[in-house]
Amino acid sequence: MLACLLPALVLFAVFMVYPTVNVFRMSLYTWSGFSPDMKFVGLDNFRHLIDDEQFVRAFQNTVTLLVVVTAVTMGMGLFLAAIMTRQKLRSRNFLRFVLYIPNVLSVVVIAAVFSAIYDQNNGLLNSMLRLVSLDSWQQVWLGDQKVVLYSVGIAMVWQSLGYYMVLYMSSMSSIPEELYEASGLDGASATRQFFSITMPLIWQNLRTSLTFFIMSAVNLSFVLVRAMTGGGPDSSSEVLLSYMYKQAYTNSSYGYGMAIGVVIFAFSFLVSLLMSRATKREPLQF
Amino acid sequence: MKDSTRTALLVGVRTLVAAACVALVVVERKTIGWGHLGIMLLALAGLMALLASYNRRYQ
Repeated sequence: MLACLLPALVLFAVFMVYPTVNVFRMSLYTWSGFSPDMKFVGLDNFRHLIDDEQFVRAFQNTVTLLVVVTAVTMGMGLFLAAIMTRQKLRSRNFLRFVLYIPNVLSVVVIAAVFSAIYDQNNGLLNSMLRLVSLDSWQQVWLGDQKVVLYSVGIAMVWQSLGYYMVLYMSSMSSIPEELYEASGLDGASATRQFFSITMPLIWQNLRTSLTFFIMSAVNLSFVLVRAMTGGGPDSSSEVLLSYMYKQAYTNSSYGYGMAIGVVIFAFSFLVSLLMSRATKREPLQF
Repeated sequence: MKDSTRTALLVGVRTLVAAACVALVVVERKTIGWGHLGIMLLALAGLMALLASYNRRYQ
Protein backbone atom coordinates (compact mmCIF):
# COMPACT_ATOMS: atom_id res chain seq x y z
CA MET A 1 0.00 0.00 0.00
CA LEU A 2 2.72 2.46 1.06
CA ALA A 3 4.84 1.47 -1.95
CA CYS A 4 1.96 2.45 -4.25
CA LEU A 5 1.58 5.81 -2.56
CA LEU A 6 5.30 6.53 -2.37
CA PRO A 7 5.85 8.13 -5.84
CA ALA A 8 2.91 10.49 -5.30
CA LEU A 9 4.03 11.29 -1.76
CA VAL A 10 7.59 12.06 -2.91
CA LEU A 11 6.33 14.37 -5.68
CA PHE A 12 3.95 16.06 -3.23
CA ALA A 13 6.73 16.56 -0.71
CA VAL A 14 9.24 17.88 -3.27
CA PHE A 15 6.91 20.18 -5.22
CA MET A 16 4.37 21.21 -2.57
CA VAL A 17 5.54 20.75 1.02
CA TYR A 18 9.19 21.82 0.60
CA PRO A 19 8.47 25.06 -1.37
CA THR A 20 5.67 26.02 1.03
CA VAL A 21 7.86 25.46 4.11
CA ASN A 22 10.64 27.37 2.33
CA VAL A 23 8.35 30.39 1.82
CA PHE A 24 7.72 30.48 5.59
CA ARG A 25 11.46 30.05 6.30
CA MET A 26 12.58 32.72 3.82
CA SER A 27 10.12 35.23 5.28
CA LEU A 28 12.40 35.34 8.35
CA TYR A 29 15.48 36.42 6.33
CA THR A 30 16.63 39.42 4.34
CA TRP A 31 18.03 38.29 1.01
CA SER A 32 18.36 39.98 -2.37
CA GLY A 33 17.58 36.75 -4.18
CA PHE A 34 21.00 36.48 -5.90
CA SER A 35 23.80 37.05 -3.40
CA PRO A 36 25.01 34.28 -1.05
CA ASP A 37 24.40 36.60 1.96
CA MET A 38 21.27 35.75 3.86
CA LYS A 39 20.64 37.42 7.19
CA PHE A 40 18.21 36.09 9.77
CA VAL A 41 15.97 38.96 10.94
CA GLY A 42 13.18 37.12 12.75
CA LEU A 43 9.81 38.83 12.33
CA ASP A 44 11.29 42.13 11.04
CA ASN A 45 9.80 41.63 7.56
CA PHE A 46 6.34 41.31 9.10
CA ARG A 47 6.96 44.46 11.21
CA HIS A 48 7.80 46.38 8.04
CA LEU A 49 4.53 45.21 6.49
CA ILE A 50 2.60 47.11 9.16
CA ASP A 51 4.17 50.43 8.08
CA ASP A 52 3.97 49.70 4.35
CA GLU A 53 1.13 51.72 2.82
CA GLN A 54 1.52 50.02 -0.57
CA PHE A 55 0.95 46.65 1.07
CA VAL A 56 -2.26 47.89 2.73
CA ARG A 57 -3.47 49.29 -0.60
CA ALA A 58 -2.70 46.00 -2.37
CA PHE A 59 -4.56 44.11 0.39
CA GLN A 60 -7.57 46.43 0.05
CA ASN A 61 -7.60 45.96 -3.73
CA THR A 62 -7.40 42.17 -3.34
CA VAL A 63 -10.35 42.12 -0.89
CA THR A 64 -12.37 44.38 -3.21
CA LEU A 65 -11.78 42.15 -6.23
CA LEU A 66 -12.47 39.04 -4.17
CA VAL A 67 -15.84 40.33 -2.94
CA VAL A 68 -17.08 42.13 -6.05
CA VAL A 69 -15.88 39.66 -8.69
CA THR A 70 -17.04 36.61 -6.70
CA ALA A 71 -20.50 38.11 -6.10
CA VAL A 72 -20.96 39.16 -9.72
CA THR A 73 -19.53 35.99 -11.30
CA MET A 74 -21.40 33.56 -9.06
CA GLY A 75 -24.65 35.55 -9.23
CA MET A 76 -24.58 35.96 -12.99
CA GLY A 77 -23.36 32.39 -13.51
CA LEU A 78 -26.29 30.99 -11.52
CA PHE A 79 -28.80 33.32 -13.15
CA LEU A 80 -27.66 32.56 -16.73
CA ALA A 81 -27.44 28.81 -16.01
CA ALA A 82 -30.99 28.81 -14.61
CA ILE A 83 -32.31 30.75 -17.62
CA MET A 84 -30.53 28.55 -20.15
CA THR A 85 -31.57 25.32 -18.44
CA ARG A 86 -35.19 26.09 -17.58
CA GLN A 87 -36.14 28.30 -20.53
CA LYS A 88 -36.07 26.59 -23.88
CA LEU A 89 -34.13 29.31 -25.69
CA ARG A 90 -33.52 28.78 -29.39
CA SER A 91 -30.00 30.13 -29.32
CA ARG A 92 -29.06 28.26 -26.13
CA ASN A 93 -26.14 26.30 -27.61
CA PHE A 94 -24.78 29.35 -29.40
CA LEU A 95 -24.95 31.46 -26.22
CA ARG A 96 -23.27 28.73 -24.22
CA PHE A 97 -20.50 28.52 -26.83
CA VAL A 98 -20.01 32.31 -26.89
CA LEU A 99 -19.89 32.59 -23.10
CA TYR A 100 -17.51 29.65 -22.76
CA ILE A 101 -14.93 30.92 -25.29
CA PRO A 102 -13.11 33.27 -22.84
CA ASN A 103 -12.26 30.29 -20.65
CA VAL A 104 -10.41 28.61 -23.50
CA LEU A 105 -8.34 31.72 -24.23
CA SER A 106 -5.10 32.44 -22.43
CA VAL A 107 -5.39 35.06 -19.70
CA VAL A 108 -2.71 37.13 -21.46
CA VAL A 109 -4.81 37.12 -24.65
CA ILE A 110 -7.81 38.29 -22.60
CA ALA A 111 -5.66 41.06 -21.13
CA ALA A 112 -4.67 42.14 -24.66
CA VAL A 113 -8.31 42.05 -25.82
CA PHE A 114 -9.46 44.19 -22.89
CA SER A 115 -6.53 46.60 -23.24
CA ALA A 116 -7.72 47.18 -26.81
CA ILE A 117 -11.35 47.56 -25.68
CA TYR A 118 -10.35 50.09 -22.99
CA ASP A 119 -8.03 52.10 -25.27
CA GLN A 120 -8.60 55.78 -24.60
CA ASN A 121 -8.82 56.98 -28.22
CA ASN A 122 -9.64 54.05 -30.48
CA GLY A 123 -10.99 51.55 -27.95
CA LEU A 124 -14.32 49.84 -28.48
CA LEU A 125 -15.81 51.13 -25.24
CA ASN A 126 -15.11 54.83 -25.71
CA SER A 127 -16.04 54.60 -29.41
CA MET A 128 -19.40 53.04 -28.49
CA LEU A 129 -20.02 55.76 -25.91
CA ARG A 130 -19.24 58.44 -28.53
CA LEU A 131 -21.57 56.71 -30.99
CA VAL A 132 -24.53 56.88 -28.59
CA SER A 133 -23.70 60.49 -27.62
CA LEU A 134 -22.55 59.60 -24.09
CA ASP A 135 -19.24 61.44 -24.50
CA SER A 136 -19.22 62.52 -20.86
CA TRP A 137 -19.10 58.84 -19.78
CA GLN A 138 -15.81 58.30 -21.59
CA GLN A 139 -12.93 57.39 -19.29
CA VAL A 140 -9.27 56.55 -19.40
CA TRP A 141 -10.31 53.08 -18.25
CA LEU A 142 -6.82 51.81 -17.43
CA GLY A 143 -5.34 55.18 -16.50
CA ASP A 144 -7.83 56.55 -13.97
CA GLN A 145 -7.10 55.55 -10.37
CA LYS A 146 -10.80 55.44 -9.52
CA VAL A 147 -11.89 53.01 -12.23
CA VAL A 148 -8.81 50.95 -13.12
CA LEU A 149 -9.44 48.18 -10.57
CA TYR A 150 -13.03 47.72 -11.75
CA SER A 151 -11.84 47.63 -15.37
CA VAL A 152 -9.61 44.69 -14.40
CA GLY A 153 -12.54 43.19 -12.44
CA ILE A 154 -14.75 43.22 -15.55
CA ALA A 155 -12.08 41.28 -17.45
CA MET A 156 -11.97 38.76 -14.57
CA VAL A 157 -15.74 38.29 -14.67
CA TRP A 158 -15.69 37.89 -18.46
CA GLN A 159 -12.97 35.26 -18.21
CA SER A 160 -14.66 33.17 -15.50
CA LEU A 161 -18.37 33.54 -16.15
CA GLY A 162 -18.73 30.95 -18.93
CA TYR A 163 -16.90 28.24 -17.04
CA TYR A 164 -19.06 28.53 -13.91
CA MET A 165 -22.23 28.89 -15.98
CA VAL A 166 -21.50 25.63 -17.83
CA LEU A 167 -20.62 23.97 -14.50
CA TYR A 168 -23.98 24.96 -12.97
CA MET A 169 -25.84 24.08 -16.16
CA SER A 170 -24.53 20.54 -16.03
CA SER A 171 -25.75 20.19 -12.41
CA MET A 172 -29.13 21.74 -13.17
CA SER A 173 -29.65 19.51 -16.21
CA SER A 174 -29.42 16.41 -14.02
CA ILE A 175 -32.34 17.50 -11.78
CA PRO A 176 -35.41 15.38 -12.64
CA GLU A 177 -38.08 17.33 -14.54
CA GLU A 178 -40.84 15.72 -12.41
CA LEU A 179 -39.79 17.83 -9.42
CA TYR A 180 -40.48 21.03 -11.36
CA GLU A 181 -43.73 19.64 -12.80
CA ALA A 182 -45.01 18.66 -9.34
CA SER A 183 -44.10 22.01 -7.80
CA GLY A 184 -45.64 23.80 -10.80
CA LEU A 185 -48.93 21.96 -10.17
CA ASP A 186 -48.77 23.14 -6.56
CA GLY A 187 -48.49 26.72 -7.82
CA ALA A 188 -44.78 27.39 -7.24
CA SER A 189 -43.38 30.28 -9.26
CA ALA A 190 -40.10 30.08 -11.20
CA THR A 191 -38.29 31.99 -8.41
CA ARG A 192 -39.69 29.65 -5.75
CA GLN A 193 -38.65 26.63 -7.81
CA PHE A 194 -35.14 28.05 -8.14
CA PHE A 195 -34.67 28.58 -4.40
CA SER A 196 -36.53 25.46 -3.20
CA ILE A 197 -35.51 22.89 -5.82
CA THR A 198 -32.58 24.04 -7.95
CA MET A 199 -30.40 25.63 -5.26
CA PRO A 200 -30.61 22.78 -2.70
CA LEU A 201 -29.95 20.16 -5.38
CA ILE A 202 -26.88 21.86 -6.86
CA TRP A 203 -25.56 23.04 -3.48
CA GLN A 204 -22.56 20.68 -3.32
CA ASN A 205 -21.45 21.87 -6.74
CA LEU A 206 -22.03 25.51 -5.75
CA ARG A 207 -20.07 25.04 -2.54
CA THR A 208 -17.06 23.48 -4.24
CA SER A 209 -16.99 26.06 -7.02
CA LEU A 210 -17.27 28.95 -4.54
CA THR A 211 -14.31 27.73 -2.49
CA PHE A 212 -12.34 27.05 -5.66
CA PHE A 213 -13.18 30.46 -7.13
CA ILE A 214 -11.92 32.33 -4.07
CA MET A 215 -8.51 30.73 -4.45
CA SER A 216 -8.38 31.12 -8.23
CA ALA A 217 -9.56 34.78 -8.09
CA VAL A 218 -6.43 35.72 -6.11
CA ASN A 219 -4.24 34.10 -8.79
CA LEU A 220 -6.23 35.38 -11.76
CA SER A 221 -6.14 38.96 -10.50
CA PHE A 222 -2.32 38.79 -10.47
CA VAL A 223 -2.01 37.70 -14.10
CA LEU A 224 -4.53 40.27 -15.36
CA VAL A 225 -3.06 43.12 -13.32
CA ARG A 226 0.44 42.20 -14.45
CA ALA A 227 -0.56 42.05 -18.13
CA MET A 228 -3.00 44.98 -18.23
CA THR A 229 -1.73 47.66 -15.85
CA GLY A 230 1.47 46.45 -14.17
CA GLY A 231 -0.12 47.60 -10.91
CA GLY A 232 -0.52 51.22 -12.03
CA PRO A 233 -1.34 54.00 -12.30
CA ASP A 234 0.50 54.91 -9.09
CA SER A 235 -0.08 51.40 -7.63
CA SER A 236 -3.86 51.91 -7.64
CA SER A 237 -4.48 48.48 -9.20
CA GLU A 238 -1.80 46.62 -7.27
CA VAL A 239 -2.97 43.34 -5.73
CA LEU A 240 -1.19 41.24 -3.11
CA LEU A 241 0.40 38.77 -5.52
CA SER A 242 1.63 41.46 -7.92
CA TYR A 243 3.09 43.39 -4.98
CA MET A 244 4.79 40.25 -3.71
CA TYR A 245 6.23 39.60 -7.19
CA LYS A 246 7.43 43.21 -7.42
CA GLN A 247 9.16 43.07 -4.04
CA ALA A 248 10.73 39.62 -4.55
CA TYR A 249 11.88 39.87 -8.17
CA THR A 250 11.99 43.55 -9.17
CA ASN A 251 12.95 45.18 -5.88
CA SER A 252 15.29 42.30 -4.91
CA SER A 253 13.70 42.05 -1.44
CA TYR A 254 13.13 38.31 -1.57
CA GLY A 255 12.59 37.85 2.18
CA TYR A 256 10.11 40.72 2.31
CA GLY A 257 8.31 39.27 -0.72
CA MET A 258 8.03 35.91 1.04
CA ALA A 259 6.58 37.63 4.13
CA ILE A 260 3.84 38.99 1.82
CA GLY A 261 3.51 35.44 0.47
CA VAL A 262 2.87 34.15 3.99
CA VAL A 263 0.11 36.74 4.47
CA ILE A 264 -1.47 35.74 1.12
CA PHE A 265 -1.28 32.06 2.10
CA ALA A 266 -2.88 32.70 5.50
CA PHE A 267 -5.59 34.97 4.04
CA SER A 268 -6.56 32.62 1.17
CA PHE A 269 -6.51 29.61 3.46
CA LEU A 270 -8.65 31.31 6.12
CA VAL A 271 -11.23 32.67 3.67
CA SER A 272 -11.52 29.30 1.87
CA LEU A 273 -11.83 27.46 5.20
CA LEU A 274 -14.52 29.85 6.50
CA MET A 275 -16.39 29.64 3.20
CA SER A 276 -16.26 25.87 3.29
CA ARG A 277 -17.58 25.87 6.89
CA ALA A 278 -20.31 28.41 6.12
CA THR A 279 -21.67 26.40 3.19
CA LYS A 280 -21.40 22.90 4.72
CA ARG A 281 -24.59 20.83 4.60
CA GLU A 282 -25.79 17.25 4.16
CA PRO A 283 -25.89 16.30 0.46
CA LEU A 284 -29.41 15.75 -0.93
CA GLN A 285 -30.15 12.63 -2.96
CA PHE A 286 -32.60 12.59 -5.86
CA MET B 1 -47.01 37.04 11.65
CA LYS B 2 -47.79 34.83 8.67
CA ASP B 3 -45.09 32.45 7.51
CA SER B 4 -44.98 33.91 4.00
CA THR B 5 -44.62 37.48 5.36
CA ARG B 6 -41.85 36.38 7.69
CA THR B 7 -39.99 34.64 4.85
CA ALA B 8 -40.34 37.68 2.57
CA LEU B 9 -39.10 39.94 5.35
CA LEU B 10 -36.12 37.67 6.02
CA VAL B 11 -35.20 37.56 2.32
CA GLY B 12 -35.48 41.37 2.14
CA VAL B 13 -33.28 41.90 5.19
CA ARG B 14 -30.66 39.43 3.95
CA THR B 15 -30.56 41.10 0.53
CA LEU B 16 -30.14 44.52 2.13
CA VAL B 17 -27.36 43.33 4.45
CA ALA B 18 -25.52 41.65 1.55
CA ALA B 19 -25.78 44.82 -0.57
CA ALA B 20 -24.59 46.92 2.39
CA CYS B 21 -21.54 44.65 2.90
CA VAL B 22 -20.55 44.89 -0.79
CA ALA B 23 -21.10 48.67 -0.75
CA LEU B 24 -18.97 48.96 2.41
CA VAL B 25 -16.10 47.13 0.70
CA VAL B 26 -16.30 49.43 -2.35
CA VAL B 27 -16.52 52.62 -0.26
CA GLU B 28 -13.78 51.73 2.24
CA ARG B 29 -11.36 50.85 -0.54
CA LYS B 30 -11.15 54.53 -1.50
CA THR B 31 -9.12 55.39 1.62
CA ILE B 32 -5.88 53.59 2.40
CA GLY B 33 -5.31 52.45 5.98
CA TRP B 34 -5.41 49.51 8.36
CA GLY B 35 -8.68 50.71 9.88
CA HIS B 36 -10.36 50.81 6.48
CA LEU B 37 -8.92 47.40 5.59
CA GLY B 38 -10.31 46.09 8.90
CA ILE B 39 -13.78 47.33 8.00
CA MET B 40 -13.48 45.69 4.57
CA LEU B 41 -12.54 42.38 6.20
CA LEU B 42 -15.49 42.74 8.58
CA ALA B 43 -17.77 43.26 5.59
CA LEU B 44 -16.32 40.10 4.01
CA ALA B 45 -16.93 38.24 7.29
CA GLY B 46 -20.48 39.65 7.28
CA LEU B 47 -21.12 38.20 3.83
CA MET B 48 -19.89 34.80 4.97
CA ALA B 49 -22.00 34.99 8.14
CA LEU B 50 -25.01 35.76 5.95
CA LEU B 51 -24.26 32.70 3.82
CA ALA B 52 -23.92 30.60 6.99
CA SER B 53 -27.25 31.88 8.35
CA TYR B 54 -28.97 31.03 5.03
CA ASN B 55 -27.38 27.60 5.08
CA ARG B 56 -28.12 26.85 8.76
CA ARG B 57 -31.60 25.42 8.26
CA TYR B 58 -30.29 22.87 5.74
CA GLN B 59 -27.55 21.49 8.01
